[in-house]
Amino acid sequence: MEDLRTERKDRILAVRDLPTLPKVLDEVAKLVDRPDTTTEEVAKLISMDQVLSAKVLKMVNSPVYGFPGRISSIQHALVLLGFNVLRSIIVSTSVFEVMNENMVGLWEHSLGCATACGVIARMLGFKDTEEYSVAGLLHDLGKVVATVQLPDLKPEIEKAVAERDLSYLEAEREVLGFGHDRINAWLADYWKLPANIKEGISYHHKPHLAPLYPEMACVVHVSDFMMRLFEFGFSGDVGVPYLQPEALKHLKIKPVIFEKLLDQMCEQFVEITDLRFT
Amino acid sequence: MQKIPLNLARPGMVLAKPVSRSDGIAVAAAGTELSDSLLDRFDGMGVTHVVVEGEPVKLDGPPGATSFDKRLERLDFLFRKYANNDWMLQIRRLMEHYFRMRAAASAAKAQPAQESGDA
Repeated sequence: MEDLRTERKDRILAVRDLPTLPKVLDEVAKLVDRPDTTTEEVAKLISMDQVLSAKVLKMVNSPVYGFPGRISSIQHALVLLGFNVLRSIIVSTSVFEVMNENMVGLWEHSLGCATACGVIARMLGFKDTEEYSVAGLLHDLGKVVATVQLPDLKPEIEKAVAERDLSYLEAEREVLGFGHDRINAWLADYWKLPANIKEGISYHHKPHLAPLYPEMACVVHVSDFMMRLFEFGFSGDVGVPYLQPEALKHLKIKPVIFEKLLDQMCEQFVEITDLRFT
Repeated sequence: MQKIPLNLARPGMVLAKPVSRSDGIAVAAAGTELSDSLLDRFDGMGVTHVVVEGEPVKLDGPPGATSFDKRLERLDFLFRKYANNDWMLQIRRLMEHYFRMRAAASAAKAQPAQESGDA
């Protein structure tokens, strides 16, 4: 059993094969590691990949992030968002590009979750709200990558969900030996995503256990719950996940605030319906 | 508030959000009441969707367009695994109350548009 798990982990982490992950990401990472690098240099390098730049700009200008006005250049985006967020956005556009037609629901779920994270973070007065949005966008990354890398096991997971009414996470754990939350942690290490985003995406099912950035994990957790409550998009199974009371307590969300959040969310749904980035 | 395809928009409905052309230039403000001529102009400019007050159109298709009535009906199924969990039942009641209020508010807002729209 242990061997099988390791083998599956290896297959998942063979994400080098992902056809859409831009080479420029590696080069940019190298550049950023050097202390004397300027924003202009990084922006110039990203801008060389025009398709990627267009996608990134479309994403940062979408209602998901809620920036007033238009961000018209990669350099502007870099100054506003910082490299860590931009890097996560590049990963998300690349990964979601390999999704096939029947994963559109997951894209919508992720987009909705990103929007909800932004709404919650702004309402609670957190700093750097884009980072919360990005964590929401990436929180089901593991599901996409598992589907792409282990296509033979996907039907088995779906069967367990359909026939025994397991949650998608329970089914993953049974079939793969680990859930997408674990895969998220591996991928975050592999793509060197920042620590807060890593915790946001790998602890979104158990946010109260997140060691360093519980508020990030809690925001993603509550957003995920809301998306499933509104059935916005399709995350793999139908039904709300258990809402951890600790998450609401940690974020100090009282029922009144919860209703306000729902109000804002309803407004945003209208904006993000039909958004496509591919 | 509801986002609807332009061909389902009817005179008498009220815009809940401004309408913009694809190049980003706004052509009608929120609060504007739709008329035949305005709808023709939108059509000519390539506008495909408008966002109107209330929920005047029964849409089943696109996500986020589901009415609050329908969300109420779904609660039983969505919370099916927590029938014996007091905490989740409490959350369920909160949601039920919320959706009920929103459904009532939507019905009240959509009424005038529906009357003139169906005529």
